[in-house]
Amino acid sequence: MYGWIWRHLPGNTWLKALLSLALVVGFVFLLFQYVFPWAEPLLPFNDVTVNEGMGAGSVSGPTGVAR
Amino acid sequence: MSVRVLVRTFSELCLTIGTLIVLFVVYVLFWTGVKADGAMDSQIEQLQSEWAQGSVPAGDGAKPGDGVKPGDGAKPGDGAKPGDDAKPGGSGDTESSPPAPAAYEDGKPFAVMYIPRFGFTWNKPVLEGTKTDTLKKGLGHYASTAQLGQRGNFSVAGHRRTYGDPFKDFPELRPGDPVVLTDGTTWFTYRIVNKPYKTLPTDIGVIDPVPRKSGLDGPGRYLTLTTCEPEWGHSHRLIVWAYLDATQPVEEGKPEALRS
Repeated sequence: MYGWIWRHLPGNTWLKALLSLALVVGFVFLLFQYVFPWAEPLLPFNDVTVNEGMGAGSVSGPTGVAR
Repeated sequence: MSVRVLVRTFSELCLTIGTLIVLFVVYVLFWTGVKADGAMDSQIEQLQSEWAQGSVPAGDGAKPGDGVKPGDGAKPGDGAKPGDDAKPGGSGDTESSPPAPAAYEDGKPFAVMYIPRFGFTWNKPVLEGTKTDTLKKGLGHYASTAQLGQRGNFSVAGHRRTYGDPFKDFPELRPGDPVVLTDGTTWFTYRIVNKPYKTLPTDIGVIDPVPRKSGLDGPGRYLTLTTCEPEWGHSHRLIVWAYLDATQPVEEGKPEALRS
């Protein structure tokens, strides 16, 4: 997989290395900017409230406030 | 396709997934804190510049006076008195006395909280609402509960871990600890009455106007803080309650609890 990418990058070795670095940085940026913020609420650290304002009798599970 | 290619691809996949997991841990433990600290600072700055311009929702200061004494005529803090809210915000109406401050705006900061037990540099903005996005920028006020300093139960939730770890030291709180808040015109000093109480997320009674398990008796001006328990989990909640002990206008300087 990585070998395939390497072979398909243009230029000499230096240019390839530079492009690889750019790819990695771009990938990490995408992760931090979009993917992780989406995934993070699926973890339990966000549930700090007691159920409230959910209307009478709607006692939901341990997920607390719906999100 | 040879075995070699299969094995190599599999190895590369494993490495990639491992790297992803490490990056995600870095994001959760470190990056959310960086982002939250920046967001909280900017919320506090926003508040302070609003206060400096005198666009504070006028009209507290006067009434709470002496804390927990019931029946001193102030209205419960539901903030919905039509007469007061009709004025456009920030028109500098210092004329005396609307009993309740204007309703808080969802997702906007309206106060700063200080808890000396968490360190003398610890201060966090309090925002209206407990939405996920709101709690990323500070502490969240349960919109259904009383307003700051009003009769009823002013209830606030905060992250224990991630997003700046505002309530990391929550279990350290002890009876008698002050929780100080300011809305730009008044300092409110609450006193905690219990050691952190562990309960279930469904126990919504803890933010009732008179939280029955707190030992606080009769209607009064109360405060409730909630966060998650265990530290990295969500199976329970930790709760502390406090009562309004003292108020003073900001012109008189910081309250006793913040001087050291």
